[in-house]
Amino acid sequence: MLLFRSEEWIEKWYKRNNLERGEVLTINQVWELSKPWYDNRLSLEYHGRSVEEAEEIFRQVGLNSAFWHM
Amino acid sequence: MSNDTLLWQIRHFVYQHFADTTLPPGVDESALHFHISTEEAGEYYKELNNRHAFFLEPDTFSVRMAWPFSAVPTDFIVHANGKTYYANCAWDMLGIPVVLKSDAVMEAVCTESNETVQLEIKDGQITNHQSTNYQLLIHFPLPFTRWYHNLIFT
Repeated sequence: MLLFRSEEWIEKWYKRNNLERGEVLTINQVWELSKPWYDNRLSLEYHGRSVEEAEEIFRQVGLNSAFWHM
Repeated sequence: MSNDTLLWQIRHFVYQHFADTTLPPGVDESALHFHISTEEAGEYYKELNNRHAFFLEPDTFSVRMAWPFSAVPTDFIVHANGKTYYANCAWDMLGIPVVLKSDAVMEAVCTESNETVQLEIKDGQITNHQSTNYQLLIHFPLPFTRWYHNLIFT
């Protein structure tokens, strides 16, 4: 996942690399997503998560489009 | 290799080593820590790689990614707890202070403009140290269904 200063720079990047468009989130949205996503990574009990658990985290932070679902 | 408890203990050791030192342990270091042979530790490393618990450099036992940590320098730098970490991507950069449960100062490069931006996490709040008249954005190139197809690109 790459960082951009603005939508304008993303458009330039798409055009220069001839890439299909992905999903763009603000840094604040990604910060809110990071909290539940990474919270327990250092725990011995963390063994990964199921697709359903991942989708639940996306839902919690308002990511409801098809991009965020299996 | 048949010990699931040891498998997850090794995963935990790798992550804790990353957090403590900014780098992953070598497979020989893990072997020594758990009093097993290097070959056996290598089998556990391969199994953890297969289960996406971390990502090995192809055809090696070197841990390249234990999300959010990167073993190789990247454009996403995190200063926290008096240490400097590398993250695999912009999202992982924000994950490091969450994992460490600490404040952090982060430096990242805008992919297209090449401008370096500085961010800070303090008391759970994120601050953009650049001019506040623009909102930094993070691009997710692939939908969730394809995240594990090409981990380096993702």
